[in-house]
Amino acid sequence: MMAEFNIDCKGMQCPGPIVEVFKKINSMESGDVLHIEVSDHGFHSDIQAWCGKTGNELVKLEDNGDMIAASIRKA
Amino acid sequence: MIEETVIIVLKVIIMKSYDILVIGGVAAGTKVAAKARRGDIAASIGVLTEDPDISYAGCGLPYYLGGVIQTRRQLVVRTPEELKRYNGVEVLTRHRVTSIDPDGQTVAVSNLETGGKEAVSYGKLVLATGARPVRPPIPGIDLGGIHVLRSVTDADSVQASLEGKDDGKVVIVGGGFIGIEVAENLTEKGMDVTVVEMLPQILPPFDPEVALHIQNHLKEKGVKVMTASKVEAFEGDGTVEKVVTSGGAVDADLVVLSIGVAPNSALAEDAGIELGLRKAIKIDGSGRTNLPDIYAAGDCSTVDHVITGDEAWVPMGSTSNKQGRVAAITLGGGDDAFPGTLGTTVVKVFDISAGRTGLGIREAKEKGYDPVSVTVPADDRAHYYPGSRRIFVKLIADRGSGRLLGAQVHGRGTIDKPIDAMVVALTMGAKVEDLTKMDFAYAPPFSTAINPLNLAATVLTNKMTGYMDSISAGEMKERLDDPGWDGLVLDIREIPEHMIGAIPDSINIPYVEMIDRLREIEDHKDKEVVVVCNVGRRAFEGYLRLKHHGFEKALVLEAGTKGWPYGLE
Repeated sequence: MMAEFNIDCKGMQCPGPIVEVFKKINSMESGDVLHIEVSDHGFHSDIQAWCGKTGNELVKLEDNGDMIAASIRKA
Repeated sequence: MIEETVIIVLKVIIMKSYDILVIGGVAAGTKVAAKARRGDIAASIGVLTEDPDISYAGCGLPYYLGGVIQTRRQLVVRTPEELKRYNGVEVLTRHRVTSIDPDGQTVAVSNLETGGKEAVSYGKLVLATGARPVRPPIPGIDLGGIHVLRSVTDADSVQASLEGKDDGKVVIVGGGFIGIEVAENLTEKGMDVTVVEMLPQILPPFDPEVALHIQNHLKEKGVKVMTASKVEAFEGDGTVEKVVTSGGAVDADLVVLSIGVAPNSALAEDAGIELGLRKAIKIDGSGRTNLPDIYAAGDCSTVDHVITGDEAWVPMGSTSNKQGRVAAITLGGGDDAFPGTLGTTVVKVFDISAGRTGLGIREAKEKGYDPVSVTVPADDRAHYYPGSRRIFVKLIADRGSGRLLGAQVHGRGTIDKPIDAMVVALTMGAKVEDLTKMDFAYAPPFSTAINPLNLAATVLTNKMTGYMDSISAGEMKERLDDPGWDGLVLDIREIPEHMIGAIPDSINIPYVEMIDRLREIEDHKDKEVVVVCNVGRRAFEGYLRLKHHGFEKALVLEAGTKGWPYGLE
C-alpha cells in the first residue's frame, strides 16, 4: 500500500530542506511518495543531484521562480 | 610658374576644408563631432569614414544576430543625415583616408564608391579610427562562411549566412566577450554552437576559476567549449565545412572569428604619430597626440589605468564616448582630462552574469602588488524575498597597504550593482576597511541587511588580519593535484548534502558532531585541514573550533562547494 507524505520547508534555508527530505525518506517505505514545498532556490539543483545519487525517483519538479514543489518516490 | 600658382590656388579654393575633421564615425568619432559642435556653433566639422554606417552600437551586434534586437535601424544611434541636420556635421561615408600630411594640414581621401581621389584640409584633426578584428593567417581563412563581427555590415553578412540554417553548426573562434555573447545568442536560436579558445580559459579578463564557472554554465546550456585548443586550419570546398584545431576537428556551417581586435593605427604611424602599447595611438589624458592639432580618441588610442597609472589599451564603447568628449573639449581650447580605465566589463551568459573591475590576481602580481583575495557568496537581496539569487563576490586587495585593487562578481543574481559600487571605491582609492562599513541601500526587495560588499570586505579583513586562514577554489585544486599534499578536506555539512556532491577525497563529519569526533582526524593536527561547507559560513565556525582544539593549520575553503567549479563527486 503506497503512502503519501507532505513536508513544508517554505522559509527554510540551506541545508534545511534537503536534510528534512533525507530524514523523512529514511522513515518511508519503498514506493511511498514525498511531496515537498521549498522557497530556497538552491533546492532546485540539490534535489535533482540527490535523487540522482540515491536512486529515488523525482516524479515532479516545479519551479515558478519563487517556490519549488517537488515529489519524490522512494526507491 | 604662374600656371603652377594658379593650380595651387584653384586647388585650395575647390578643396574641401574643415575646421575640425574627424576620421572615423562610430562611438568616439561621432561623439567628438557632436560635442565639438556644442562647443563651437560656427565651426565647419566633417567626418570621414569607410563604413556605410555611422554611430552604431557595435556591442549590440550579438543581440541583433540572436533576434533580441529585431531591426537593423535600432542599432544605429544616428544616421549621416541626422548628424548633418541636428548637429551640422558633414559626414562622408565610404571615404577612406589614405594618408595624413601633418605639415600641410591635409589628408588624402579615396572615395570607395567612385574611386575618385581628393585632398581634404583641416584645422584640427581627430583620429577615431577604431579597431579591427584580428584575422590571423590560418590556412583556409578566406573560405566562405567565415565571418568577423565588428560592424553592422558584418552582422548583415552573418545574418545572410544564417538564413535557412536554424539548426546549423556554428564554430566561434575566440572565447572573449563578443564570442561568448554570440554563442549565447545563436544557441538561443537553436543552433549547435562550439567555442574554440586558444588559452586555457575563456574570458581572459576574469580570474581562471571565475571563467570556469561561466564555462560550466555554457556547457549546462548546451554550448561546447574547447579551451587550450588552437585553430590549425579551416577546410571546405569554397565554403567552410570543418575547423581543424589542436583539440580535434569540428564540423561547421558557419564560423565567427572573435579572436580579438587591433587598433587601426597604421595611418597615424605613417604620418609620424607616436604609437604606444599594442600599437595604439599614444595620447595624453586630454586626447593630444605627439603632433600639434592632431588628437585621437576611442579604440584606436591608448588610455591610462586608474589604479596603476600605466598606459593601457582597453577598447570599450563606454570608454570611447568619454574619451571623445574630452578630445572635443581639448581641441576647442578647453581643459579636460580622462582619468583612465579600470577595465570594467560585464557580461550576461544565459542565466548568469559576470562582471569585473580593476586588477585581477595575475595582473596585480605583474604590476608588483602583493594581492590577497577572498571569494564570498551572498544573496543579492533578502533570502526570504521572492527572486533572491546567489552571487559570488571576489575582492582583491594589496596586502601591505590594504588598498582595494579589483573585484569580480558572478552569479544568477544582480551583479552590476556591486561591480559599479566597486568602480567608485577603486576610483576613489578606497581600502578594504572602508568598504566594510559603507552605508549601502537596504530594503528586502533590493539588498541584504549585510550588503554583499560589506560582507566580502569583512571576510577579507578577517583574512588579512589572520583571524581567518582561507584558500580559494583554485588554491584547493592545486593541493588536490599535488601528490605531495598531506592535508585533509573536512566536509562539515549534513550527510545528504555531502551525498549530493562533495570535493573529491573529502571526509564528512557534520558540524554538530565535529567536536565529539575530533579523534577521527587527530593525526592531522599538524597538517592542513581544509574545512568545507556549502558557502563558507559554517566552515568558518568549524575552523574556529578546530583552531581552538589545536589544529593550527586549519583553513576555510572560500565559497564552499557552491563556489567549486572543478566538479563534485
